[in-house]
Amino acid sequence: MIKISEMPLLRSLIIFFAIMSLAGLSAYLLAPLLIPIILSFALYALFDPVSNYLQRKGLTEGISAILVLLLLVVICILGVSIVFPMLAEQLILLQAKIPKLWEFLTSFSLQVKDILEGYGLKFDPNAITKPLMSTSSDWGKDAVIRLSNLLIDMTAAVILVPLFTFFLIRDYKQLRNKALDLLPNKSFELGWLIYYRVAKKLEIYIRGIIMQSGIMAIVTSIGFYIFGLDSPVLLGTIAGLLNLIPYVGPLLAMVPPIIIALGAPVFDPVLIGAAIGVIIAAQLIDNIIVVPALIANAVNLHPITVIVGIIIFGNFFGFIGMIIAIPALATSNIILTGLRNGLKKDVLT
Amino acid sequence: MDKSNNHPLWMNIFRHKDDAITAVCRLWSATPLFKKIPNSYIHRLVKNMHPRFYKQGDMIFTTGDIGAGAVLIKSGEIDIKAGEKVLAKLRTGDFFGEVALVVDEPRTADAVASTDCELIFFLRPDLEEWVHNTPRQGAQLMANISRILAGRLRHANDMLAEKKEQ
Repeated sequence: MIKISEMPLLRSLIIFFAIMSLAGLSAYLLAPLLIPIILSFALYALFDPVSNYLQRKGLTEGISAILVLLLLVVICILGVSIVFPMLAEQLILLQAKIPKLWEFLTSFSLQVKDILEGYGLKFDPNAITKPLMSTSSDWGKDAVIRLSNLLIDMTAAVILVPLFTFFLIRDYKQLRNKALDLLPNKSFELGWLIYYRVAKKLEIYIRGIIMQSGIMAIVTSIGFYIFGLDSPVLLGTIAGLLNLIPYVGPLLAMVPPIIIALGAPVFDPVLIGAAIGVIIAAQLIDNIIVVPALIANAVNLHPITVIVGIIIFGNFFGFIGMIIAIPALATSNIILTGLRNGLKKDVLT
Repeated sequence: MDKSNNHPLWMNIFRHKDDAITAVCRLWSATPLFKKIPNSYIHRLVKNMHPRFYKQGDMIFTTGDIGAGAVLIKSGEIDIKAGEKVLAKLRTGDFFGEVALVVDEPRTADAVASTDCELIFFLRPDLEEWVHNTPRQGAQLMANISRILAGRLRHANDMLAEKKEQ
């Protein structure tokens, strides 16, 4: 009879699914804190080099963690007092423009209807515009409530995230060592190797996409401002956030500026072209300069895997799912490959 | 008489871990791997190393395993084997597997615990973090590893030459 230990692929699949189940269970139990935890890990990846730099200058781990915490608190205070009100103001301005936008869409669809009827084709613009208008009107009514809810969530995150990040910077390595020391002697080195590969890739990827997202937000904000688009900082921030989603994000990022351009007092095709142009130019800068310098081959996944992964993760976990799809897939890939290679050897010897 | 036994009991609670780290530091600093590296730097590195316990007859690693780092014998004895042939007998203070600190190559021999033993694993992630944080000492350690590996290469060449002559 063949033993499981003689079937490396089956063994690695069993261990892989056990690890994934454990990760899924942890995510389920920690659901209310999941976003602050993910953000804290992202900030840990971003600020750990700062802590290392301070330690190189002779400070202890504790002191450097406190200094990083202070830096985070300053950033959060600046965010809450300057960036949030600016974004809220621009969001309210955007909300005020929605009736004008629908007015334009209605007249545009009526023009299309006239043209189509000239060719003997039937077209009912109300079938499209009415549901859209009712959704937008609901969204408009809820915008202030949504914004205040968002601000409450953000305030909780503003308190939790720096705290979690502080403890990660101070204690993560010890906690990691203790967790990996639980591995049995036989799998100790293999476990460390897999952890090491995952951690290295994720560190490069997370640090890279945060910086990439920030650069995209700044470049597009400046571009929108130059071309006179309303709410440039809000649109730039949205473009930066959407850029966290590969392939699909840049396409989605074009939608808000086009809507704003369509809502201009006078129909201006140059403004619409500029809105699209800014996103395309920012994408060119991103692909030619930013990606090769910051991310390069951080995750070696096939584009189809990436797109399918984004769709599936997006379907189950929404916007956050679309962002975590790539690191989650890359991690799974490294774990499965590491297990398969590591366990295959057991059979050969 | 061992002076450490003279400490009051409550002192031992606080001293225990530090004493263990100091003992490992002393063993590592006596190896060519940490030649010319000050003790304070070794101490910082040793704090993050990984002690593991093996029973007599346990395999530490086998030929073909991808190694994650070097191993120091804190107590006990290890046999390095190729098949049934014992290539070397290692004791407290000896270290092995240092090639895995620099490359992802498979282990080239088996390591078996010939007595109960405590081993200290010095893994590549520890090394990389340490090199990143203390580049000057990191460069010294890399130079030491190169010297050790060059010595091994010379030894292997000498053995080959001897075999040819025979």
